[in-house]
Amino acid sequence: MTTILFIIFAGLAIGCAIAMVSQSNPLYSAISLIGVFIALASLYVTLAAPFIAAVQVIVYAGAIMVLVIFVIMLLNVEHSEPRRKRLKFLVPVAIGMAAILIAETAFILYSVQTSANRLPGNISDIGLTHSIGEGLFTRYLLPFEVTSVLLLMAIVGAMSLARRTTVLSATARVVPGAQVLAMDTVNPRAVGDHTAVETETTDEAAHLLGVDFQSDRSQEE
Amino acid sequence: MGPQLSWYLALSAILFTIGVVGVIIKRNVIAMFMCIELMLNAVNLTFVAFSSFFQDVTGQLFVFIVMTVAAAEAAVGLGIIITIFRNRESLDVDDASILKL
Amino acid sequence: MDWNNPFIHSLLVIVAITTAFLAIMLLVAATVLAERRVLAFIQGRLGPNRVGYGGVLQPFADFIKTMMKEDLVPDQSTRFVFLLAPVIAVVTAIMAIIVYPFGPTITVPFLGWTFPLVIARFDVALLYVLGVTSVGVYGIALAGWSSNNKYSLMGGLRSSAQMISYELALGLSLIGVILICGTLDIYNIVEQQSGWFGMQWNILYQPLGFILYLIAAIAETNRVPFDLPEAETELVAGFHTEYSSIKFLLFFNAEYINMITVSVLATTLFWGGWNVPFAEYLFGRGTFLFALVSVLGFFIKIMLFLFFYIWLRGTLPRFRFDQLMDFGWKFLLPAAILNIILTATFVFLTTG
Repeated sequence: MTTILFIIFAGLAIGCAIAMVSQSNPLYSAISLIGVFIALASLYVTLAAPFIAAVQVIVYAGAIMVLVIFVIMLLNVEHSEPRRKRLKFLVPVAIGMAAILIAETAFILYSVQTSANRLPGNISDIGLTHSIGEGLFTRYLLPFEVTSVLLLMAIVGAMSLARRTTVLSATARVVPGAQVLAMDTVNPRAVGDHTAVETETTDEAAHLLGVDFQSDRSQEE
Repeated sequence: MGPQLSWYLALSAILFTIGVVGVIIKRNVIAMFMCIELMLNAVNLTFVAFSSFFQDVTGQLFVFIVMTVAAAEAAVGLGIIITIFRNRESLDVDDASILKL
Repeated sequence: MDWNNPFIHSLLVIVAITTAFLAIMLLVAATVLAERRVLAFIQGRLGPNRVGYGGVLQPFADFIKTMMKEDLVPDQSTRFVFLLAPVIAVVTAIMAIIVYPFGPTITVPFLGWTFPLVIARFDVALLYVLGVTSVGVYGIALAGWSSNNKYSLMGGLRSSAQMISYELALGLSLIGVILICGTLDIYNIVEQQSGWFGMQWNILYQPLGFILYLIAAIAETNRVPFDLPEAETELVAGFHTEYSSIKFLLFFNAEYINMITVSVLATTLFWGGWNVPFAEYLFGRGTFLFALVSVLGFFIKIMLFLFFYIWLRGTLPRFRFDQLMDFGWKFLLPAAILNIILTATFVFLTTG
């Protein structure tokens, strides 16, 4: 019974992985990757690791891939143009190297016949939440705490990378809301001065730049 | 009889190899990133398979840590991808192969 | 009954799934009708009361009407994703049904079978529900994208951003309950609330957690007052603008089943699930009558929560999107963390 389940989910995982690599539209690749993650989560359940399976769905399929899909949608990625001529040789090289890697793996697996033959029984309780919690908070407490610091670093890094840091020029229209202007756009005599001038409201920015924001909008109507 | 350990290792090796092929073939930065995630997942499968067959919870704890690191890497990696897109107007790695804009 | 025979076990699970699925579909139909009638009463009018006695057949009439509509698919290249999105939304909504604890362990009177009234009882049930809700976000994001329509895309992205922001507060607000009950298994949590003659409900231990959970869950299901992505571009209906006929019904269905899942979690985790006060005393545990009263109690509690949802819809104005995100990140998240700290301190001090 577990054999049939293994074959179904393994087939699903490999099928979705090949689909992911062969699609040219990155959104379809992302959807195939979600399929791989869900297939792997099902395999974890058959390996008596239900907590890891649930965490895999929540973290990978539910958070990381949502982020990737957001980026794909917001950057509005189109289909890629055909590959330039000088790099066309990469595809057969990659497939050849893959074939060699799989052959090596098959050889190793064939010659190592002394794998542990115990079944991953459903009666084992190493995958339950309480045993993972025990391990995580007693013996492996240091990696846990370091991981939390790593996540904090990732948050700060992602926010500082994605922030817009360019300043607006005076020919740009005043945007609604708070904005940061460069000193040389506000004061025409201070050329090359890039100190930041923060404004809280649209009207303040309009006043500083000498632009009449209200009448711009009424002209549009 | 049930699936043997070697079957899980073989599946993990195949998934890892497909990930490697993807990283080499793909030109879109986001697609390459997704293939890297596939490689990480293949390694996770190995860890969980060993943890189950040797009845030791350490494998699953390490998978937990790997997932957290992958999440952190996804956040920062996508931030870098957005910055590359803003500066070069293209998501092609061949266009980003030299430092000059 | 030989439970270990896989075929008999599978057959019984299939029967259980079919029964629960039909019951929940009837509940969805009742909720559709109740929403229109209760909303009408709040607004000072009557609502649909002509189809069937007092309007009971209205949802079925709606269903037949919607099925007859023309099924449009916009003419562009992401047709597969357009057809996939409502399927993802409704499948992930229905997948959460398997962990509803409908009632206690019953003994069928003449046959002597005993089984708990839940489709699947496993160790990580609460995480499973959270995971399934996380995957449900894709239905909305992909629907917004594949409609090839700027309003749909913005509505879909806003809706998904809102959902993933409030998922965090949702998960954190549930940690208080998990700390107190010591298990992630929903059936166990309900069984632990049967002390004090069936009145030792978790709401007495986690009032703040319950309020935070309810707010986060209402935002998660995109209902008023958090339904800006659906209702802002109100002439164009947000991410499901381009959907018609059956596909629109699937989204609609998914929203109502998500509401039911939220209500079920609220009753089982905070309000005692199937525990009716004094029922054990009156009927005796393990009898058929006790199970019947418990299941009825469970459904009544769910319907009270659904009524609360509809009441909110008729009463409150909606948040603007930036107010919504501020609220989720700057108020709910710190409040949920505060709840965890307080609960952990309390548990530590009382169990030493």
